[in-house]
Amino acid sequence: MAKLSSLLDYYYESMYADLKVLENERLRIIAKLKKAIYVLIILGMSFCFFLIQGKFLIPLHAFLLSSMVAFLIYMFIYRHEIAGYKSLFKDNIIEKVIHFIDPSLVYDKEHSILESEYQQSGIFSQNYDKFSGSDLVSGVINGVKTRFSTLHVEEKRKDKDGKEHWYTHFQGLFFIVDFNKDFKSKTFIFPDFAERSLGVLGSWMQSLNTSKGELIKLDNSEFEKFFVVYGDDQIESRYILSHTLMEKIINFKNKNKKNLSLSFVNSKMYLCVDYNKELFEPILTKSLLKFSQIKEYFELLSMIIGIVDEFKLGDKIWSKR
Amino acid sequence: MQTFLIVAGIIGLVIVLMYNALISKKNQVDNIFAGVDAVLKKRYDLLPSIISSLQEYMIHEKTTLEKITQLRSQAMQSGLDNEAKMKLDNQFSQMLGGLMVSVENYPTLKANENFLHLQHTLNELEEQISAARRAYNQSVTDYHNAIEMFPTNMMASLMHLEHKMLFTIIQSERQNVDVKNLFQK
Repeated sequence: MAKLSSLLDYYYESMYADLKVLENERLRIIAKLKKAIYVLIILGMSFCFFLIQGKFLIPLHAFLLSSMVAFLIYMFIYRHEIAGYKSLFKDNIIEKVIHFIDPSLVYDKEHSILESEYQQSGIFSQNYDKFSGSDLVSGVINGVKTRFSTLHVEEKRKDKDGKEHWYTHFQGLFFIVDFNKDFKSKTFIFPDFAERSLGVLGSWMQSLNTSKGELIKLDNSEFEKFFVVYGDDQIESRYILSHTLMEKIINFKNKNKKNLSLSFVNSKMYLCVDYNKELFEPILTKSLLKFSQIKEYFELLSMIIGIVDEFKLGDKIWSKR
Repeated sequence: MQTFLIVAGIIGLVIVLMYNALISKKNQVDNIFAGVDAVLKKRYDLLPSIISSLQEYMIHEKTTLEKITQLRSQAMQSGLDNEAKMKLDNQFSQMLGGLMVSVENYPTLKANENFLHLQHTLNELEEQISAARRAYNQSVTDYHNAIEMFPTNMMASLMHLEHKMLFTIIQSERQNVDVKNLFQK
């Protein structure tokens, strides 16, 4: 895999010229948005003044209405302006960084992991109303078929007052990889909140939850501290979760400080890494010509693409050769 | 009288729950042992092929090969109890491990396609056996906790439930059995 040390050369040789063009575009959009803000403030104030003078609305309502109209127009302009920039950003930065790390990988900015794949993982069993995602990367890493993308899965809920709001079930990175062992059963690994906060009582409560199979107690105390495991075959779950793999998962969690959920279904490993932000989206306020920006994307993508190596999934056993 | 009946009912319910919990843990141990037994049998079934490939090359290890074959015959006998099977497995694993290390001294054997195939199958079986042993030991630990902890220990002693033997997990197995690596050293 490509090293950070050679990224600087690649940055100046293959990216800098395009980034300059993109940076000019970013500055143009910022200038345009600033201009739009000034114009909308003036128009909004005039509209508000008109509503008050014409006695159509009381001052407070007139102010709220004109602010809302101005805000909606601004959002329309913002979305219109950023759409093209976003696409260029992904072509010139995200795709190039991915190809720098591994040229064989295929990047598709529009698509994501399929809804059916999300459901097959069995990690999330709650109903949802909105499924969205982007930045699908697929390919073969060290002989292992791999796919990942960002996902955002939400459910529309009503609170006590009947107000609707969106509740996020999952936002982050969804990773699917062919596992290096064959298995027929299902195994699920979730972050362990109950046992950590309630101790033995939490563990007892976990054993009552049989929706994902039996509780699997593992012989690695550190792993047990972080995760709770369910499965429908005590032996096969341990066949999948060897001591080595448990250690790799702990290391990955400690290194990235993110909540992880995993499942092993149909000889595939599904990994969800929680991020409560958009991962590969442009930030208009940050300059693209700063190397640190590109480095951040490189480190994130290297971490994701490195999962196959990190978990040693390329070391296939006999039945999978 | 009513209070007495309620208390007696609660005591009766607790006794039933404790009894069922102990029986369920005991059965869990037996169920998982059946899984261990199945993978151990697979390994014993594979052994004649491995021995016949090794016999051609490993002239100096004749005694070890004979001992392993003898252990296999003992393990395949019907009517063995779980403890006897575990003891035999322990001896068998140690001898087989030692034999695999000595394969290093036979470069022609290491190049044999048929043997390589058997070696990889054995490697996979060792992974499955390791997982089965871990599952068994965990179920025995849960069972031991139940028969030793208050108040289920009282019920367990009335039911004459006894401790069960654990598999000894050797250190190399903790690091994951990998027969392949033994050959590649």
